[in-house]
Amino acid sequence: MEILKQIKYKPARVAGGYTDRILRIDLTGREINVEKLPSDFKAKYTGGRGYALKLIWDGTTGETRYQSPENILVMASGPLGNEPGFPGTGKFIVGTISPLTDTFIDSNVGGHFGPLLKLAGFDALAVTGLSKEEVVIVIDGDAGTIAITAAPKYDKETNGGALSYGQRLLKEVNDGQFSDCLAAASAGRGALHARYGVIHSLYYDKRRGRVRAKQAGRGGTGTVMRAKGLKNIVVRSSRAKANGNNPVDKKGVRAAGREMKRVIARADPTQLHLSAWGTTILSEYMDKFHIFPVNNYQYGQSPDSVKLFAHVFLDNYFSRRVPDGCYYGCNLACAKGAENVELTRGPGAGRRVSVDGPEYETVGAVACMGIFDPHYVMEYNWYCDEYGLDVISTGVTTAFFMECFERGYLTVDDIGYQLKFGDITAADRLLHEIAAGKGFGKIVGQGVARGKKWVAQKYAARNKTPKDEALAELNKFGMEVKGLEFSMYVTKESLAQQGGYGFALKGPQHDEAWLIFIDQVYQELPTLEDKAAALKWFPLIRTWFNATGLCKLHWIDVRNPEAAATDEPSKNLPTLAHYVDYLNATTGSHKSLLDILDDSERLYILQKLINLRQGKGTRASDQLPLRAMAPVFFNEYQSRADYYDRWLGQNGGGRKLPASPGQRHKLLIERRIEEYQQLCDAVYQQKGFTPEGIPKRETVARFGLLDEKARRLLE
Amino acid sequence: MKVTIEFLGTQHAVVGADRVEMPITGKATVNDALDYVQSKYPQLKLAEWMVIVVVNQHIASLDQVLKADDVISFLPFLSGG
Repeated sequence: MEILKQIKYKPARVAGGYTDRILRIDLTGREINVEKLPSDFKAKYTGGRGYALKLIWDGTTGETRYQSPENILVMASGPLGNEPGFPGTGKFIVGTISPLTDTFIDSNVGGHFGPLLKLAGFDALAVTGLSKEEVVIVIDGDAGTIAITAAPKYDKETNGGALSYGQRLLKEVNDGQFSDCLAAASAGRGALHARYGVIHSLYYDKRRGRVRAKQAGRGGTGTVMRAKGLKNIVVRSSRAKANGNNPVDKKGVRAAGREMKRVIARADPTQLHLSAWGTTILSEYMDKFHIFPVNNYQYGQSPDSVKLFAHVFLDNYFSRRVPDGCYYGCNLACAKGAENVELTRGPGAGRRVSVDGPEYETVGAVACMGIFDPHYVMEYNWYCDEYGLDVISTGVTTAFFMECFERGYLTVDDIGYQLKFGDITAADRLLHEIAAGKGFGKIVGQGVARGKKWVAQKYAARNKTPKDEALAELNKFGMEVKGLEFSMYVTKESLAQQGGYGFALKGPQHDEAWLIFIDQVYQELPTLEDKAAALKWFPLIRTWFNATGLCKLHWIDVRNPEAAATDEPSKNLPTLAHYVDYLNATTGSHKSLLDILDDSERLYILQKLINLRQGKGTRASDQLPLRAMAPVFFNEYQSRADYYDRWLGQNGGGRKLPASPGQRHKLLIERRIEEYQQLCDAVYQQKGFTPEGIPKRETVARFGLLDEKARRLLE
Repeated sequence: MKVTIEFLGTQHAVVGADRVEMPITGKATVNDALDYVQSKYPQLKLAEWMVIVVVNQHIASLDQVLKADDVISFLPFLSGG
């Protein structure tokens, strides 16, 4: 490989979960610097997402966009990442200014990259600048070198593939051998042409004998990476993974890990059994309760959904009896995969490939396009991965354009072919166009927020009507908030989850809040105040996992038997107690759960300040498309007319039920819009914000964040 | 009179069916349905602490009295992916 710039360095030792070093690389000037962090940095910003937030707050401005040279691509694990004695410690965060939202996105991903980056001596990697030629970064903790190299060129097919290029590179830097001492972060050619390119975390799985992929899927982090001219990052370290955090209290770490693994081993097989089924198990539950996003979220259920339930993938695709954790020591091990899947479509037709997935989100994204073919789910999964495209944004954006076509906003002349729900041939053709940046794929690759404007323009010109009127209609069913497409849950019947998506700082991704079941099904949040309290508490603890290098599935989807005896079982506090023990044993702190929530709230407020600066931080940015709150068109109302009429009877505000279905539909929409605004008021009060959704000065000051920039912003 | 107990997710893989009917008298409760499932399908390992009970898609308590044609599900705890 042609080295363009290289430095030698001595990898810092990990102590109490931290190295106190970040690696700064500027691609414009080809500068490589190891920066020692001030001693109070970790106390204030914790790690992972916190480090990314602080770096972005300090290093960018309100004018920074995804392709600006000063935009920073941050990769950071956290103090609790990399501990095989505790389950789920392979996670790291990719944080940057998003091409979709124009504000901060943090995308959470598993695998070995985060742990190996720490073992190589770094709490975070921060990449700035733009390289005119395509480059690769190699961080070699064993050799003590960090290099920017020209991106090697292989055959055309490998060069374009996020998976195949990364795999080839991992072998090349290790004398033709795969090893679990190496990992890569890889972005494919889809990221060059679409705003929702992903970064893959590639790692060698000894049990399967191949390289596997997990994704930093949301928000276009891969698009940022390729915009910088950065094709791949490889990290190597042979330092021991066991006790790799050099914890202050090794026995305490082992005890906390033992307890967590015991809970998982006992409870998971009798609950969701993620270790056998992976997250595809969610499809059946979502469909039963009208939460499965069919036909661009028009419906929450379909008679065809059964074709995509978990047993189909377990019976026909998933390898069995392979513990599929994405990092060592995890006994939830839910990262399912399949071998020898034949591609029947697209440029790879006839090839047999390994597929990592599908996760529930991939299944939901395909159902969103009205497609219920499990083999297409596998092919879609693989092509999105190889192209480096977010399965969620690709599916939701395609579904939006399908609806535009079916409702007459677009014609065959606009697209080049018919594009209807359920049409696999059309959907597949479009997928390859998106990856290549060709044909209609060029438009679809821009995402829903920008796509709506394009459609409105086309429609208005053709029909000689005002563009704003067309856009107002498209806004009702264009499923995005702040520019990010919705993840795969229908929220119409859960006011709490409407808030979970609307208030989410990055946009409607459910890692801040997933309150659908405790609201809609378990009915544990009957009042507005209950929902607002949940919308304060859950985002704080859920995002804490993103600051520490942890996976949260062990807490959220495995109910500890001891939780039943607590006052708030859905908070699963006995499990959280093990995490608090693990934190204190690793770092030597003496924190309580309340302290952890405070630490997380500091990061929450910092992210809110960034949103404000980027123009996405007020009440206006927390508003939802109508379809997230209510049935938009009459066909949606009719599909559950009895249910909606009963709801109106109970929630109509004392108003008499109108005689005609059309009028009842209209009243339903009015009530749902009212309810959401009431929720906004209640939530802002809970969070210490003004009615405009802006943090009050005293809220910012409480967390030590009222620096000069924040002061000017709040003025 | 009878009620239906639905099996979802991993439950129907273990049980080998997606539902079972249970005959009831006028005073049968959800707890009776749970006992019925536990004795008929011990391999399911259903326990009170690990399920949420839903009758006709509405949350229910174990002492709720059942009516003819009620549909009961014993759901695991779900907090998303």
